[in-house]
Amino acid sequence: MSAPALVTFSGEFRPSTGSMEAWNAAYVRVEDYLRAHRVHNRLHQSRLIQEILERAARRHLAQPESDPTTLAAEETEALMDAWFGAVLSSENLPPERRAIEGRVALMLCDGSEKWPYAFLDDKNIPADFRAAVEASSMQAGPDMVVSSMVPRPIDLGPITEAAGDTLERFEQWPILRTLLLWLVFAGALAGIFYATR
Amino acid sequence: MRVFKYDQMTQRRLNRRRFLFFSAIFGLTSLATWFMADLLWREGISGLEIVLLGLFVVLFAHIAAGFCTALVGFYVLNRGGDNCRISETLSPNDDSPLASTAIVMPVFNEDVSRVFEGLRVIFRSVQETKKLEHFDFFILSDSNRPNQWIQEEVAWVELCKQVGGFGKIFYRKRRHQINKKSGNVADFLRRWGKNYRYMVVLDADSIMTGRALVRLTALMEQNPQVGIIQTAPRIVHGESLYARLQSFANRLYSPLFLAGLNYWQQHEGNYWGHNAIIRIQPFIDHCALPDLPGSEPFGGRILSHDFVEAALMRRAGWGVWLAGEIEGSFEEGPPTLIESAKRDRRWCQGNMQHAWLLTARGFRPANRFHLLMGVMAYASSPLWLLFLALSTIHVFGLVAQPPLAGVLRAQDMTSIFGFMIEVPEALTLFFFTLLLLFLPKVVSVVLTLGNPEAVGRFGGRLRLVVSAILETAASALLAPVNMMFNAKFVLFTLLGQGVGWVTQQRGADDDGSDWREAIITHGGQTAFGVIWGLSSYIISPPFFWWLSPVLAGLVFSIPISIFLSKASFGRRARELGVFLTPEETHPPYELKRLQQNLAECYRHLPPFEPLRANYGLMQAVLDPYVNAMHVALLRQRRPSDEAREWFGLLRRRLLAEGPGKFTSKETMALLLDAESMIWLHRELWSSPSDAIAEWWRLAIRQYNVLTSAPTTALYR
Repeated sequence: MSAPALVTFSGEFRPSTGSMEAWNAAYVRVEDYLRAHRVHNRLHQSRLIQEILERAARRHLAQPESDPTTLAAEETEALMDAWFGAVLSSENLPPERRAIEGRVALMLCDGSEKWPYAFLDDKNIPADFRAAVEASSMQAGPDMVVSSMVPRPIDLGPITEAAGDTLERFEQWPILRTLLLWLVFAGALAGIFYATR
Repeated sequence: MRVFKYDQMTQRRLNRRRFLFFSAIFGLTSLATWFMADLLWREGISGLEIVLLGLFVVLFAHIAAGFCTALVGFYVLNRGGDNCRISETLSPNDDSPLASTAIVMPVFNEDVSRVFEGLRVIFRSVQETKKLEHFDFFILSDSNRPNQWIQEEVAWVELCKQVGGFGKIFYRKRRHQINKKSGNVADFLRRWGKNYRYMVVLDADSIMTGRALVRLTALMEQNPQVGIIQTAPRIVHGESLYARLQSFANRLYSPLFLAGLNYWQQHEGNYWGHNAIIRIQPFIDHCALPDLPGSEPFGGRILSHDFVEAALMRRAGWGVWLAGEIEGSFEEGPPTLIESAKRDRRWCQGNMQHAWLLTARGFRPANRFHLLMGVMAYASSPLWLLFLALSTIHVFGLVAQPPLAGVLRAQDMTSIFGFMIEVPEALTLFFFTLLLLFLPKVVSVVLTLGNPEAVGRFGGRLRLVVSAILETAASALLAPVNMMFNAKFVLFTLLGQGVGWVTQQRGADDDGSDWREAIITHGGQTAFGVIWGLSSYIISPPFFWWLSPVLAGLVFSIPISIFLSKASFGRRARELGVFLTPEETHPPYELKRLQQNLAECYRHLPPFEPLRANYGLMQAVLDPYVNAMHVALLRQRRPSDEAREWFGLLRRRLLAEGPGKFTSKETMALLLDAESMIWLHRELWSSPSDAIAEWWRLAIRQYNVLTSAPTTALYR
């Protein structure tokens, strides 16, 4: 039985700037973000993380003062914008809206789960995946057809109108209102007093 | 099948029906007034006695109206049903054409699972009728709690995905909750009303079967002069003893009252605010509500809009029908006495406002009567209280005064047209009143016992009778408690005050009201009952025994309230077969499905405790999909420079400090601003851990490790 071949790494990626802790934190953050996008395919996930961190590391060389987590997040966002641009017919959308539309479409067609290798891969976009994304739309309401619904006054009749006018006048004169309340109270007391004699 | 034609119900025939109905009320009230006047008028009549007599007339007439409705209902049902019903215009299997109909469900901080699972059941039920193309569904949200709002959005998307509902089920969240429910419906009508011929208004706890919805729409198509058809929702899903009592009473007694109401109302029925179909165009044209004179609570915005809308529809010449016989319309009742009183507090204020409209020009007499009955539903409580208090004072006066020699005492004799019968007058009157209060219940039980199939649905003869006796006893104990509640609500409304409430405890055992809440809520009633009882007993023991049914409810209101609120007792009663309803013994498919779905929903663990209070905000910021969905649903706005600056400060504070110190208003403001939500999502995920608050670090950690297979909010 022959001995297994030694492990050989395909790339030479090793961040040459920044601490290991900072790159570990960046790794965890990208991983969390991909998981939040429901990218549960570990193989695909790890490929994406490496790609993103490589890009971030290259930028870190030029901007060593930047935090690797921030750079990695920016690279993820840039990758997503480009990918959504390729998947969606969204040239007219501003970048931040493109990501919004893209994520909504992805969510509606369960893209991350149904096409586990498609996420952020702009070289291999399955035709059925593209069709599903294009077909996904979320409509909170149908087209508006505006109607006018204006309250019309109700003629309350002479007695009620008079009562309403009186009450509104009372509301304008709080002292009068209080006096009236006291009068009612005193009247009730007097009534009970008389009744119990 | 008898086909009802409108020309059968001539105005003359309708007038005859109404003459009989109102004459019966008048006759019974006159008879009772005779006894009461005779009781009071043995030694002349004093001012106090005149007031007592006046109150008695008003209160007895109110009882008599209920009794006569039931009596007429009995007459109708005994004849095999009224042929003048709106449902008679269509045969049960008639495949009539339908028209575009919107099912609208206004919601305000409701249990999201219940709302959307209810909607799922309704949607599926309509789908099964194969008439789905005629119906669209709208959730109209006025929820102003951040968690609630985000949860609603997530639930809406998930529901649409699962049932293929995009383009059929819509979600609308108002930024400003103007005019509450009626404003919410009016907002819908202004935006989309023209797209539909009818709308069915549902409450958040309503369920209607597809068959019922299709039938209602067909009935509207069949009767182009009808503006509203109101169904009679059955109260279902009661768990606590209180809820099951209400459900049982509603199911057993309502057929009699519904038949009676339809007999004299006909096309001048009422609208109860939900589980009804409405013709949209006339509603838009005539039912926009103006403000009442003065300010709230007595004036201002009309709170109980439904009765007024029915009156306005009628004024414009459109028919309003009650279709109590349509099956498949359900709602849920309050689980406890205290929750029921909270609901009454709201309704009381709204119904009291209707006093303004009693003399409104152009309203039909039938609508005035509905409005008056609405007012009396609450105003009768303080009147009863006053009547009882004055009676007590009157008795005190009689005790203090020795009887005149030679005068026949009312407590020994009854006088009818000068003939003396050796039965105490008060006892005669007492039994007469009891007859009016309890005969409809007895008749309902007897009618049901005569139908073996119906008896089976209530759990059998013995269980039905035992349940009815227990329900009667419970309602007798609850009546004085409700009287005290309503008297307080009316008084506070008249004084322009709101009523404060202790927030209901929904503790770990989730088993009804707790003692603290019950003591605070019913303490005053208990004290009132004890003082009243003691003073009555000291002055006149016989009077104390007359008052004892009222006093018992008040004195024991705390334990009664606790006892009835227990879900465990409710379940036990169900096991024993007490208060069974047809919906429990033979639940319709839709109700069964709803219960199963809800059980599934509630099995999920609640969010991690430290994150729970702001879970909605957390999802909307953290979760890429929830964030995108939320932003996509927001209207694009261009805030002013000042607003932009304020939002900038607010969102930086949110990331640096966490949401703990944010007010609900600040959280809502951020959630309403699309730019801020995009910024927060981006900044949160790109900020190093030490630059964000501990709360956010915990949120990121927890969000992805809650389950072994990581899931996002849309699957929780």
